[in-house]
Amino acid sequence: MREIDPGFAAEELSRAQAGVPAAFAALLRSHQRLVYSIALRMLGDAALAEDLAQEVFLQLYRSLGSIESAAHLVFWLRRVTAHRAIDRLRQRPQVSWAPLAAAEELAAAEPLADPLLSARLQALLGELAPLPRAVLLLRYQQDLDPSEIARTLDLSVNTVKSHLRRTLAALRLKLAAGVPAALEGES
Amino acid sequence: MSRDLEEQLRRALRPVDPGEPFTARVLARVAQEPPDERPAGTRASPDTRRRRLWLPLGLAASLAAALILRREWHEPRDLQGPEARRQLIEALRVTSQKLDLAYRIVNTPPATGDDQGSGA
Repeated sequence: MREIDPGFAAEELSRAQAGVPAAFAALLRSHQRLVYSIALRMLGDAALAEDLAQEVFLQLYRSLGSIESAAHLVFWLRRVTAHRAIDRLRQRPQVSWAPLAAAEELAAAEPLADPLLSARLQALLGELAPLPRAVLLLRYQQDLDPSEIARTLDLSVNTVKSHLRRTLAALRLKLAAGVPAALEGES
Repeated sequence: MSRDLEEQLRRALRPVDPGEPFTARVLARVAQEPPDERPAGTRASPDTRRRRLWLPLGLAASLAAALILRREWHEPRDLQGPEARRQLIEALRVTSQKLDLAYRIVNTPPATGDDQGSGA
């Protein structure tokens, strides 16, 4: 995950809170990758991800006064994006598949990785229940440790570790078997 | 096997930047926000109410710059280098002009000062 310069973010946060429009635009540019990436991998659809990411930044704009620091801003963005994505997934009528076109498109943009395996992993991610999906994403996309994931998602550390352990085991099985099926239920 | 899977997950889930068009769309939505939804730092006391115009005007200027940059985003890669730098400077110059204009507008005393301008 690309690092955001904390000094720059702190300065821009202060200016944005003071109402400087260019500072909010700078904050947006420096954090949009983080928010959009979580939304995209959670929802598996570029249009839905952009809609969710826009909502998150609008909420940030309305809540700027409550952001205490650059680190708090990153925590806040991860937390709000993950919770909103979980809510949207739960509103869907049933466990949904990551759209194949989106998975292929995402895999094609990644020259260094095995595109077929990446597409397969993204499809398997789309089969996970919302909560384990968010846990996996925060661990392997955002590089958070279990305690940080627990704070972000309002879970216990043991629950996070349990989700990680069971989800990785299920993924291993599915990759080895090569057959799609619902991986894991919500706990 | 475990390490391999974790590495593959990191690659498969790598972050993606939505690009400048996304930035422009968010800024456009922010510019449409009603005044009550704006950051606390820009909420006006009666004396500073006129100055709040600074925010939407400034956001509009940022949006204009973002739209110019968006056009650049779609240009062929061979525009990188001096031409890209020239376009960026042009975008920043336009933004600066818009911000200057907005600042002058909100700080110019109203023509009829009896009802609201006397206390400023």
